[in-house]
Amino acid sequence: MEPESKKRKGMEYDPDSWQVLPVLSDEMSDDVEFLDAFAAPITDKRQTSRLVKDLSAVHPISDLQHIRRVRPCKDKSSPHPLEVIVCLVSDVPHIKGRPASLGDLLSSDEFNLEGLGEPFPVRIPARAPLTRPQFEQASLHWPTSFHEDKRITLGLKGQLFTSRQKTKIHEYMTLAVEAAKSGREEGMDAVGGVIVDPKSGRIVAVGHDLTRDHPLHHAVMVCIDLVAWAQGGGVYGYEKHPACTYAAMDHQVQTGASGSVENAQPYICTGYELYVTREPCVMCAMALVHSRIGRVFYGVPSPDGALGTKFKIHCQKGLNHHFDVYQGVRRRSCEELVQLT
Amino acid sequence: MRTDDTGNDGMNGNFLHPSDSEIQKWMSNAFNMAKEALECGEVPVGCLLVYNNTVLGKGRNEVNETKNATRHAEMVALDQVLDWCSDRGMDPKVVCKSTVLYVTVEPCITCAAALRLLHVPLVVYGCKNERFGGCGSVLDVASGDLPHTGTSFKCVPGHRAQEAVDMLKTFYKQENPNVTKPKVRK
Ligand SMILES: [Zn+2]
Ligand SMILES: [Zn+2]
Repeated sequence: MEPESKKRKGMEYDPDSWQVLPVLSDEMSDDVEFLDAFAAPITDKRQTSRLVKDLSAVHPISDLQHIRRVRPCKDKSSPHPLEVIVCLVSDVPHIKGRPASLGDLLSSDEFNLEGLGEPFPVRIPARAPLTRPQFEQASLHWPTSFHEDKRITLGLKGQLFTSRQKTKIHEYMTLAVEAAKSGREEGMDAVGGVIVDPKSGRIVAVGHDLTRDHPLHHAVMVCIDLVAWAQGGGVYGYEKHPACTYAAMDHQVQTGASGSVENAQPYICTGYELYVTREPCVMCAMALVHSRIGRVFYGVPSPDGALGTKFKIHCQKGLNHHFDVYQGVRRRSCEELVQLT
Repeated sequence: MRTDDTGNDGMNGNFLHPSDSEIQKWMSNAFNMAKEALECGEVPVGCLLVYNNTVLGKGRNEVNETKNATRHAEMVALDQVLDWCSDRGMDPKVVCKSTVLYVTVEPCITCAAALRLLHVPLVVYGCKNERFGGCGSVLDVASGDLPHTGTSFKCVPGHRAQEAVDMLKTFYKQENPNVTKPKVRK
């Protein structure tokens, strides 16, 4: 921990000044899709298990594992306490759109209709909800199973990080903002980034946009190359840019928390975190996949951004590495940087 | 879409599409580079950036020696083009607008975006890059609607594709320790 006196101006974290939110896959952030179905009241409770068995034989919904076929009636004053899904609308294509009777849905000479009331249309969730908001939306229509990921629920409420963690996040982003300002003074775009090893708290690299020198040197590409320098590699020189720095690997040996000798150096950015003032573009986002970054925090979205806006490279199907992304850190300061550029 | 204009001025947009014989010539060059890389135990990808019948950049994968996972052949070759421009005081945008990339494997998403950012108009490639491809295999960065990410580019895919795939397969077999340490050596 840094002593209080070492902290610089602007480092103080005001918990109300920003909120960090996860950037989830489309599957997780989209609205729930529904299927149209017919349900009917169970007028004789003793027939329930037989009806479920018979209905499942005629109109199986076995590919909708998350759906409970029977639900308690929402209207407590109703004379019948239970309702059952008779079939999906797609199971009975011959009754397009018009109100259906039980005879339309079930051929009454073969099906024992005893204990089943008149059918009515319902909407049932097409797949199991992945987040609590989706679960709540789905449950308005029909009960569904839900395997809750508590981290995602907390994340969506902006409560995943403790105030201590948020203080750290604030500090790292402040370094990125300062780097962006240094870059701006050199005539670069005002974008800055910081790469941190969260295990030791070590700041591995601080960099900013250098596109006036090289059209591909976005802040993230610079940070990735600075990490390479920290590990004994690296491609480009940064002597002319004092705000672009890295901490060589041997620092980690000195500050290693566990004291154990771990010679196996992680593959490039494995387990590291990136703090960057603006959402990375597609080149930079994929460079983070190639580098096996652990997590990314950014301040504000960008128009062609690839970690939420145009693409979600961090959860792109088909790629061999995925990572968590959070946005909104020090939003106002990061927005001010966009105005500078 | 061919003109008789020599088209060395990218500024007025007279980009000269390469002829079939030019494509064959430069791709054979790229394949030779890939073969050399494979023989040295390196990722078998070869690429050339050609401007007005002149090779300005030639790259091979340098990820291991630089510990920078973005040092793909295309990025190395693009740097050579940028150096060539700065040596001559030429605008990289103007030069790149008339430059073609010949590469044995579809560029990855990072490289495809870099090519857009530099306004390279055409990429001729061998096989698809199923794991990382940025010209349609995983994402279509090449022609995607990204108005803030340079210019979209065209692709001529499939040139000697099987040969390029075979080289990659040979390489990954060597890389995979389960395959490289058989108990009985033949
Ligand atoms: Zn970028
Ligand atoms: Zn690439």
